[in-house]
Amino acid sequence: VSFYTKIMSWLTLPVDLLSKYLGLFTDVWLTLVFGFLIVPAVFGVPFGIHKYYIKILLSIFEWTTLQMELKAKEKNNQLYKHYTSGIIVKVPDSTLKQEIQDLRCSAGCLSLDPRLELADVFVFCRKALENIIDDDVTKRFSAQKLENWNLLTRSNHNFRYINLQLLALWILGVLIRYGVLLPFRVTVAVTGIFLFVVLSTVVGLIPCTKLRTYLSDKVHLMGYRLCVRSLTGIITYHNRENKPKNDGICVANHTTPIDGIVLANDHCYSLVGQLHGGLLGLIQRAMVKSSPHMWFERAEVKDRRLVAKRLRDHVADENKHPVLIFPEGTCVNNTSVMMFRKGSFEIGCTVYPAAIKYDPRFGDAFWNSSKFGLVGYLLRMMSSWAIVCSVWYLPPMNRKEGEDAMQFANRVKAAIAAQGGLVDLIWDAGLKRTKVKDTFKEEQQQLYSKILLGDHEYQNHP
Amino acid sequence: MGALKSTPAPIEHHDLSEKTGFSLRQIRVLHKRFKQLSEGDDVLRREDFLGISSLKYNPIRKEIIEAFFNRRNFSPSCEGRANEIDFEEFLVVMSHFKPPCSKMTDEQRKNIRREKLKFIFNMHDSDGDGLITLEDYRHVVEELLSRSGALGKETSRAIADAAMFEVARTVGHRDPDEFYEGITFEHFLKLLSNFDIESRMNIRFLKTDVIPGCRLG
Repeated sequence: VSFYTKIMSWLTLPVDLLSKYLGLFTDVWLTLVFGFLIVPAVFGVPFGIHKYYIKILLSIFEWTTLQMELKAKEKNNQLYKHYTSGIIVKVPDSTLKQEIQDLRCSAGCLSLDPRLELADVFVFCRKALENIIDDDVTKRFSAQKLENWNLLTRSNHNFRYINLQLLALWILGVLIRYGVLLPFRVTVAVTGIFLFVVLSTVVGLIPCTKLRTYLSDKVHLMGYRLCVRSLTGIITYHNRENKPKNDGICVANHTTPIDGIVLANDHCYSLVGQLHGGLLGLIQRAMVKSSPHMWFERAEVKDRRLVAKRLRDHVADENKHPVLIFPEGTCVNNTSVMMFRKGSFEIGCTVYPAAIKYDPRFGDAFWNSSKFGLVGYLLRMMSSWAIVCSVWYLPPMNRKEGEDAMQFANRVKAAIAAQGGLVDLIWDAGLKRTKVKDTFKEEQQQLYSKILLGDHEYQNHP
Repeated sequence: MGALKSTPAPIEHHDLSEKTGFSLRQIRVLHKRFKQLSEGDDVLRREDFLGISSLKYNPIRKEIIEAFFNRRNFSPSCEGRANEIDFEEFLVVMSHFKPPCSKMTDEQRKNIRREKLKFIFNMHDSDGDGLITLEDYRHVVEELLSRSGALGKETSRAIADAAMFEVARTVGHRDPDEFYEGITFEHFLKLLSNFDIESRMNIRFLKTDVIPGCRLG
């Protein structure tokens, strides 16, 4: 009993301090937050006003877009809304050589052949058509540009003064988001993390395995629920009969660090990753006390065999939860799926794919790690209107006879892309860190003639 | 809920959708682009295409632009060239690159492949006589290679000649001096029969609608 009271006093200590110094205001605020947000989240009771919230927001956005269109008409401009990454797929020039070779290989011929020059024209043809439809270079790694303006300046790069009403609305929006929503969300997040760390450690001390597993599942779910509430996340899960079971791994496309939270909100997973320092490390260590997650030291990450072995052992154990893996390796802006790393597909167990698609109208969930750090990103998330997304659970897939790991990975990737309405791309997400622009400067003709000339030289020297 | 819809699609769009096989949403997007390229006009001219900056880097841009004004691409029975095209003709040319449906009979697939190859054939056959002659082919190879200065005109001519010779040989001409009129469309089809062009001559449109429901954790 004294143990229990100790914990309660820990929990109420910050509250007492705040109360003393800020008085009545804080009391009211905290009651609201706890009463309406935290307690329901802890016990998993749905709250229900989100539907109306979304409806109201959407009708406001319709109005703002109408205003912008009217203004543009006044000035006789066509309000051409850029679907920079939204209409069509484009392949950057760095893979021109690959496309041509791809095409040649598809015909099964390797030597120089007049048909090959005829066919090479296809590649240039398609590129030309793509440029005719949409002549901005695809920035697949920058956030999607929206057709409607959702009152966040970060998503409208052409923001300028339209009229007084729009400006007033925008200011009101800023006040609400930063003055009301953000503090609420930060409180919920902080409380959530605190509760989670404490409870997870406590549950880890329980000797009886069955009870411990049961309680740790509950604690984990509660923690994720609170995190989702703290971002005003509105998640729809489809096909829940395909939820992952304990004998395999779950793979999904990666857009943001929040992906893990989105998925873990519905089902218990074991996470895999590198052990960090600081606050994140504290949370990781607390998590692992009650549930078998796999955190690797920095040095161990390099050792692929070790990682693979631990994964294999984990998957073989029926009592352990499915492992959650993001095979793309980095965050992509949720319009496409990049190449999957084949490591996780070599283990040889059942793969449960899941597709996550975010709705960009309420807040852009994509983390552009070259532009923002994690804290900046979280602040942006918490000051958006909401994070709305859909999760589809796909039926389990197994490696077929005669299929190697890479082919299996591509098959899974295609299924995820098809379900989420994303584009299935062949190239490596690691390219986002290299500069594509430099290669674009090289004229296509030079590139092409080098390829062709290379082949000719080979032919001339028998 | 769903994407914002401003006005319902005009009747013409429905007809165009039937004719070209694009969805209404795709037609709407392409119409906006058409209007932007033509600067509000109802017809497109060659100069409008020259304004597209990324097209500058493409070695065969002239041929592609010509393809839009080539009446043979509007319908198989037409001949000659146009100086202006309207939205319907723009769409018809674009439809050579539309993404394939998953449900298609073999017959339909063959027809689509034939149409795509006819488009490429017409691009090579600049004088419109139904044959890709040596001159036609030399011209295309020159466009592809020698404009950048990496290969001289002589070299690209030699490459074109060698290639045409190889093709002539496959039809049975053994003697390099024997006159070979040119590649017919049927022969062209046969030459490229092994190539998988269906997936490479497509413009893939993205789906961006997500319908949010409401569920709290």
